[in-house]
Amino acid sequence: MPATHPDLSRRRALSGVLAACATAAVAPLGSRARAQIPNADHGRVIPPVPIPDLRVADTEGRTVGLASLLQGRATALHLMFTGCSSVCPIQGVIFERVQTLLPDQRELGIQLLSLSIDPLGDKPAALKAWLRHYNAREGWMALAPRAADLVQVLTLFGQGPNAVENHVTQVNIIDRRAQLVFRTQSLPSGDSLAAILRKV
Amino acid sequence: MAPRLASSAALAVWMMAYAVLAQANAAENPTPWQLGRSLFEGPAELQGRIYTHLVDLPPTVVRCANCHAVHDGPEVPRALAPRLTHDVLLSPHARRGGPPSTYTRDTFCRLLRRGIDPAFVLISVEMPRYDLDADACDALWRYVIGSSHAGDAP
Repeated sequence: MPATHPDLSRRRALSGVLAACATAAVAPLGSRARAQIPNADHGRVIPPVPIPDLRVADTEGRTVGLASLLQGRATALHLMFTGCSSVCPIQGVIFERVQTLLPDQRELGIQLLSLSIDPLGDKPAALKAWLRHYNAREGWMALAPRAADLVQVLTLFGQGPNAVENHVTQVNIIDRRAQLVFRTQSLPSGDSLAAILRKV
Repeated sequence: MAPRLASSAALAVWMMAYAVLAQANAAENPTPWQLGRSLFEGPAELQGRIYTHLVDLPPTVVRCANCHAVHDGPEVPRALAPRLTHDVLLSPHARRGGPPSTYTRDTFCRLLRRGIDPAFVLISVEMPRYDLDADACDALWRYVIGSSHAGDAP
């Protein structure tokens, strides 16, 4: 059955935040970032796009810098939200399979990142429950950006600010220098993701 | 009084037993509509996978109701998948950029199994492909072109 959806007031608040941010955020970063991704649909990102050090909240409620979490590890990042009943559960199962296929994930310096697009709804407890639901082990993080940064997140990792109602299911591959280097096709298999991550 | 009480008690016991047996019979021998609803919403399990994957997905994540609203039922929040109704499926509609088309049970089953719609357009990779036998597919078809009420099932 469909999962509980964010209540209307939260959605209205989020829309308001997005509207307020769109003018300020899309022009300076969004268009530049997308312009740097000629094959923005999927495939290699040439040249690689540095990930900005956005502030994100982790499952303990701490605020950390995104780029600093990405430095030194190969990262697979997908967009999700815990109230999503359609594609997000499939995305969770895909990451679960990646962890099954990469028992040596830690030694390889590989990490997985579920990045929420519902910063008002996905509080630390919800993010923690998401990880628990998919039997996440060490090396799989769930984070939520600030609402003010959502447009930037959707522009960089999704397909623009309109994706808040429905997000892309591609996986973003980020290299050890915190640069976006590859975008997969929609809902890639865990097997293909594991193979890609071993090569980053 | 005692015989009347005893007969009332016996009647109550008989009615309860009948209800339990009827429920058990419905669970063991569901009508196609009941089976279709159970496959659509759960708890009956569907076997499906994303066609680019090597393994099946867990049944709970490939339920139709995860993405599709049906009949006049509630919306699925933030889902892009179309609502499935008698009119949507059986009236001519242009789908996915193709020419107007209508579904039949066979084209519906072909879409579920192979991802090819009635106008021979390939559907999104994000919709799982299902391993369905004829009875299960027929049950789903009857459910989605029917209504919310079992009695209206075709």
